[in-house]
Amino acid sequence: MATKDKEWISIPMTVDVPYRFAAGSYMTKCLTELRDSGKIYAVECPKCKRVQLPPRVVCAECHVKNERWVELPHEGTLVGFTIMYLPLTDPTTGKPHEPPFVYGSVRLDGATSVLDHMVEVEPDMDKVWVGMRCRLVLRPKDERIGDLSDIRYFEPLPGQKKPQS
Amino acid sequence: METKTEYKPFEVDQHLTAHGNYWAGKAGSRFYTALRDRKKILGSPCKACNKVFWPPRSVCTFCFGELKDLVEIGPLGTVETFTLVTYAEPIHPRPAPFICAVIRLDGADTGMAHFLDEVEFGQVTIGMRVKPVFAKDRKGNILDIRYFKPL
Repeated sequence: MATKDKEWISIPMTVDVPYRFAAGSYMTKCLTELRDSGKIYAVECPKCKRVQLPPRVVCAECHVKNERWVELPHEGTLVGFTIMYLPLTDPTTGKPHEPPFVYGSVRLDGATSVLDHMVEVEPDMDKVWVGMRCRLVLRPKDERIGDLSDIRYFEPLPGQKKPQS
Repeated sequence: METKTEYKPFEVDQHLTAHGNYWAGKAGSRFYTALRDRKKILGSPCKACNKVFWPPRSVCTFCFGELKDLVEIGPLGTVETFTLVTYAEPIHPRPAPFICAVIRLDGADTGMAHFLDEVEFGQVTIGMRVKPVFAKDRKGNILDIRYFKPL
């Protein structure tokens, strides 16, 4: 039987595997433009007209080649969110993002797919809601490196109030 | 007409990271507290198989019998095998170059990997006698033994 004076040892451990991948032609255009001009580029499917972000060579629904590029605005609508109470590992740094914070899916105006990112709003159910209008906040141009951490977070457009149900 | 822009090949650096806790368990907790508080190295003996395990464990790997006792082993030991690490990898525990050796302590029947320092690459041999160098500020993990060095 374990006695009271017995000490149990637990050692914090972090396994960190850094890796590098080639972005491919479509993500290269998307990330290079994000870094150099701060623009968000998506692709439009010639058949079903869905606008996919992040851009892929082949439409995920119709399996036809996407050829047309569309520039998306930085504003969109929150279509789903969660308040995180556990740390989330940031894949661009490997460091945990400390809770609590709001993590949500935002559909940029004109896009069919959504972009998941942090939402810079108090983790309070009265301050965040589905349908909230948001905009992207990018790093300053001279600090951008061309990965998804160039998008710092979404912030709510000013002057909004949660609709009363 | 749309102007065509040429983009240079682009690579993205990311991390696959898992944050966790290693629970040392019954035998491991006693091993680490003895190492931290008394600078003693413990192994677990199996009387039925006449073996002593290091690091200590609570089940014998041969007869699956429960191991309840711990005995002091070492601190001197023997190099069973080693590798000279000459290149750096991000997942290595320290920057290259360094020597990683499996060391069997006196009184134990198994060896464990640790750093072997204060020796030139060409001088390491299997069977070399080594002793541990303990850390001054011990925290209850395996780096309380900073490294082994030749006698």
